[in-house]
Amino acid sequence: MSSVDATPIGAGAKARGAGGRRPIGLLLVAAPVALVLGLIIWPVALSVFDTLTVHGPQGLEFSLEAYRFFFTDGFSLRNLWLTIRVAAICTVLLLVISLPIALYLRFSETRLAGYIQALALFPLFVPSILLAYALIRTLGPNGTVDTLLVAAGLPKMPTPYLTPWGPIIGLVWDNLPLTLLIVLAGLANVSRASIEAARDVGAGSLTILWHIILPRIRGTLLVAASFVILGLFSAFTLPYLLGPAAPEMMGPFMRRTIIEVDDPVQARTQAVVTFALCAVFALFYVRSVARSRREQTS
Amino acid sequence: MNRRQLLSCTFAIAALMAAPGAALADADRIDVYITGDSNIINFWNNVIKPVYEDAHPEYTLNVVSARNNIAPIVERTMAALGTETDPQVDIFDENDPNLPAGAIEKGLWVDFTEAGLVNYDKINPVTLETDYGLPYRGTQVVLAYDTSKLDPADVPTTWDELVAWMKANPGEFVYNRPDTGGSGGNFVRRAIHEANGRDPSLFQIDNYVEGESDAMLAQGFELLKDIAPYTYGPGSYTADNMQSIQMLAQGVVTMAPVWSDMALNAVNKGVLPETIAFAQLQDLAFAGGFADMTVPTNAGNLDATLKLADIVLSAPIQEKVVTEIGAFPAVAWEHLPAELANKYAALQPASIPTFPGGPWVSAISDGWFRSVAPHVER
Repeated sequence: MSSVDATPIGAGAKARGAGGRRPIGLLLVAAPVALVLGLIIWPVALSVFDTLTVHGPQGLEFSLEAYRFFFTDGFSLRNLWLTIRVAAICTVLLLVISLPIALYLRFSETRLAGYIQALALFPLFVPSILLAYALIRTLGPNGTVDTLLVAAGLPKMPTPYLTPWGPIIGLVWDNLPLTLLIVLAGLANVSRASIEAARDVGAGSLTILWHIILPRIRGTLLVAASFVILGLFSAFTLPYLLGPAAPEMMGPFMRRTIIEVDDPVQARTQAVVTFALCAVFALFYVRSVARSRREQTS
Repeated sequence: MNRRQLLSCTFAIAALMAAPGAALADADRIDVYITGDSNIINFWNNVIKPVYEDAHPEYTLNVVSARNNIAPIVERTMAALGTETDPQVDIFDENDPNLPAGAIEKGLWVDFTEAGLVNYDKINPVTLETDYGLPYRGTQVVLAYDTSKLDPADVPTTWDELVAWMKANPGEFVYNRPDTGGSGGNFVRRAIHEANGRDPSLFQIDNYVEGESDAMLAQGFELLKDIAPYTYGPGSYTADNMQSIQMLAQGVVTMAPVWSDMALNAVNKGVLPETIAFAQLQDLAFAGGFADMTVPTNAGNLDATLKLADIVLSAPIQEKVVTEIGAFPAVAWEHLPAELANKYAALQPASIPTFPGGPWVSAISDGWFRSVAPHVER
């Protein structure tokens, strides 16, 4: 599993197509590029166009009204703010949880490591709707955890169900395998020799982590964080089933705005705002990939 | 095989596959189009079909799932009206005879008041909305409560009593968000009815006026804001119908509004314990509705189809409507076994108010989320 690289699958093919002399290479990339243009870029451009225009007496007119509404509407802003907060908390938790596991899996040679890796990757195979109902059963009010606590003579816990902590717990569980795989891939670049060399000159574990390992995987952590954040912004099932009615995360908010409130322009505005925020993190990712490619080629 | 033979063969096979209905047309077949989910399809195949075919062995029942795509089949039936063509449709299980506009005037649907059905007079009059639709199963939002925590004698029977009970028992009531399921949605609509003189006729599909109507809704939201601090959480709202049932099953809350058929099913399957009982508000019930069967006048087997409709309204099938799919019977309870009638007496609808869809849906969803949901921050 540690052979998984953080470089996107398309990048290699694209490089070859651009540099290749034969037209077959260009033809090969033509299909995915056409798909991306036709199914993603074009509809996104249409949406952005829709949010920036209104039907005036002289036909279409440029207008920032949709954005003015979004950014002056306390309700929408609270939902956006909650989404940012949940994404930030989840990302920090995911990195804090997956780093020790990844370190253990990278440098341990016992058989237990294999089992732990399988366990850590297990959430990858559980659909989030099952996860949501399982969490209600276990962490929900009078759930399994409460039953155990009461059996042990302890008071019941305040349940995270229907609070922002419900989706946070679910999303951390759901995104753990992806984060772990990316961090593991980054750790493959840290050679054992450099750690042993540091240890020989008397460096403690924390010093090694801080001065040897972290600098080498800084780019990877950034990639992991941007990947996770992109997923969190579009999360729907877990925030919908486990989160509070208000404020709600952008995923359920957008769905409700277009289906229930029947306001496609506001739904698109919400989507464009979310998209713009995600684009910032995508930029981090692209820059990080570009830098690591430069380092590799130089 | 040369190219021409291959081509004609392919065409022949394609034609056969494209027109299975025409290829298998059968004068003794009754085509039943089902709008409902698989439980309704199973009900027709496993309950109604054997009873009907035993009584009328010369006919076979062909149950077809139309799901959400009934409009083109109705159009087809309408197009065949007045021609010799058999529309290949004998009965729709759940269909609004008012659609498409003008269908009733053109004589597309059978008028059941004149169809001579033996069981027509047994129908509970509150379920009848039109002469051209034959109700056979219904569902309505009811209050489900835990009898181990609340004595049936003390169950609230009016909105005011319900609010008083919530305030005396904070955290024991939960309803789901109005956008995620009709049980919470119709609870919210009941509050809107309450705030507007309990007069459902004020709300019609075509009388929503921005501003004016929003003010009417806002009065209902005020009532909900008033009870928000006493709901589970406080101020927490489950994300769908089933979660409310689960909260009830796990003993977290004492009472929740539920769909009668979902809750009866949950009791039958053991998801809800036997201690769960049901009640309906008596000053004005929660909204609900019945599925209306419609029969086109140009059905190929009109007489046999009307006999089928009669069988669906017969006591044995109506009993199964309750026990198998957990829906309300369309016939009055006095025509069903007393034991069954007593068990579900509290569910007996005295009236079934309706609330229109259309622009009201978005106004209610947006209004509730903006004013009621954030009222109490947990």
